Amino acid sequence: MSLPSPSRMRGVPFALVLTAGGGLVLATLPWLLSDFLLALALSCLMFAALAVSWSMFCGPTNYLSLATSAFFGLGAYVTAWGLESMPYGLTVLVGGLVGAAFAALIGLAVLHLRGAYFAVITFGLTELTLHSVTYLEKTYANTAGRIISEAPENTVIYWTVLAVTLLAIATAILVRASRLGFALSGIGGDEERAQTLGVNTRRVKVIAFSLSAFFPGALGAAMAVRWTYIEPLSVFNPFIGFQTVLIAMVGGAQTLLGPIVSSVFFSLLTEFLRLRFPYAFLIVLGLLLVVLVLYLPGGLASLFVRRGRQHA
Amino acid sequence: MGFWLELAASGLITGGIYAVVAIGLNLQYGLMRIMNISHGEFLMLGAYLTWLAHTTLKINPILLLPVVAIAMFLLGVVVYRLCFRRIARAAPTVEVIEARSLLVGFGLMFLVQNTVNLIWGADLRGYSFMAEPVDIGGARFMANRLLVFGFAVAASLGLLALLRWTMIGKAVRAMMQSPTGAQLVGVDTGTLHPVVFGAGLALAGVAGGLLSMVYEISPSMGEPYTVTALIVITLGGLGSAIGSLLGGFLLGLVEAFGMHFTNPSLKMVLSYGVLVAVLVARPKGLFAR
Repeated sequence: MSLPSPSRMRGVPFALVLTAGGGLVLATLPWLLSDFLLALALSCLMFAALAVSWSMFCGPTNYLSLATSAFFGLGAYVTAWGLESMPYGLTVLVGGLVGAAFAALIGLAVLHLRGAYFAVITFGLTELTLHSVTYLEKTYANTAGRIISEAPENTVIYWTVLAVTLLAIATAILVRASRLGFALSGIGGDEERAQTLGVNTRRVKVIAFSLSAFFPGALGAAMAVRWTYIEPLSVFNPFIGFQTVLIAMVGGAQTLLGPIVSSVFFSLLTEFLRLRFPYAFLIVLGLLLVVLVLYLPGGLASLFVRRGRQHA
Repeated sequence: MGFWLELAASGLITGGIYAVVAIGLNLQYGLMRIMNISHGEFLMLGAYLTWLAHTTLKINPILLLPVVAIAMFLLGVVVYRLCFRRIARAAPTVEVIEARSLLVGFGLMFLVQNTVNLIWGADLRGYSFMAEPVDIGGARFMANRLLVFGFAVAASLGLLALLRWTMIGKAVRAMMQSPTGAQLVGVDTGTLHPVVFGAGLALAGVAGGLLSMVYEISPSMGEPYTVTALIVITLGGLGSAIGSLLGGFLLGLVEAFGMHFTNPSLKMVLSYGVLVAVLVARPKGLFAR
């Protein structure tokens, strides 16, 4: 395997500077926006980070993971269990590490499966985690959910989530330009060929899967304080995983910008439809999803790519 | 003795329903690689059709089953034409078909579930049908459950017979073995795909109709059955109809006995535990050779 080509490295410093600059602008939002708009910005950021980190592994390899909710839920429970003994920032870090460790563990067990099998088993593992936590909490702690009493201020939560999001984007930029990113695209192209060419596919997959799970874990821990009451069904909600996959794929999971654009698009659209058509909004959302997949299969990113090619 | 019989029977009765739901989904997946995550929604639609026709027109729900099957079959052909045909034609690889059909399935799930919710509301609905106990070999069963079990087994076996002995069944099996080979010897994808997709929906609708005789129904009733069907398919092997039948019974029994020996709140842990164990140890299904 050769070193990454210079052309692939060229855009990296520029992309990182752009990310940092965007982050600085976004960091001022708490002084500019109302509470309602800030909450909306928070949900955009959360889904951007989830979709970017999902695409980090699943985009180049074509593996369809539905386990995002498992990492998110574990992170949230780290906060629920540990916030009384740890500062908020530390719970976010620990939440990320727990997510990554869990992903490494299940990655070792199930990453030899491909296609629909992998999608089904990651979904099954998420549900298994959800029901195990429910059962453990009921038998050993004698509780169905937990109340989080000492939540930090909304602005602190916003900045923390922003920091995690920026970190996710920066990591994604670096992974794409690194040997790890090359190996991942090789696996997505033809796994056996990559193996023949000397890529330790098992190791590469486990490392990348675990790395991509750090972010949902950290986000779960960071967002848990937004809800005063935490229960397994709400934080392990498979819907979080579905929505992540949906956003990433509608945006274009192979690209970096696609998931970011589409998470903003989806968060705003969902909010708009919810306010405009409170009863029919999920119907409209479903219809829109079907139409998007049928008529824009490459994702929103394909709109820009096509236009770019026409100019060239 | 009577007690064990009752426990085994209750496992087999749920297992029979699981089998019907799973066979429909498995046919669709095995033949077209369409991972139709909205399968349970069509089961729910079948249940609502049966409930609606029974409560407004006072027709015997058993007589309604063929009507529901035909209606759902036609709906399936339309859904296939509108959504899945385009995916199958435009996608470059099988993996892309799987991923896109999964997304469209999510869209359909939102669409169908919330439309039903908007029309009939989120309340539980139901009617009482043949809810009298029957004694068999010292065990007591509700008559409607035995009926459901009989129909579920009959539908599954009928379908297996169709697949085994008819020309269209042969075409379906050939298509599952080798799509290109089947097309070379003259199997027509253009008619076979919509027909099989429709048949899958018809099976889901019948399963829903059967369930409405026993349980109360609600717009969100379908999702758990989709998940169970995925588990059953994995147990029995993707693309294998007989595997789904056996897998369904197996899961029903595991749930019934598992809950008896451990704890009812562990039901979901048990089903998913079985799924994960099978996938890790035998990813091609329990009955794969």
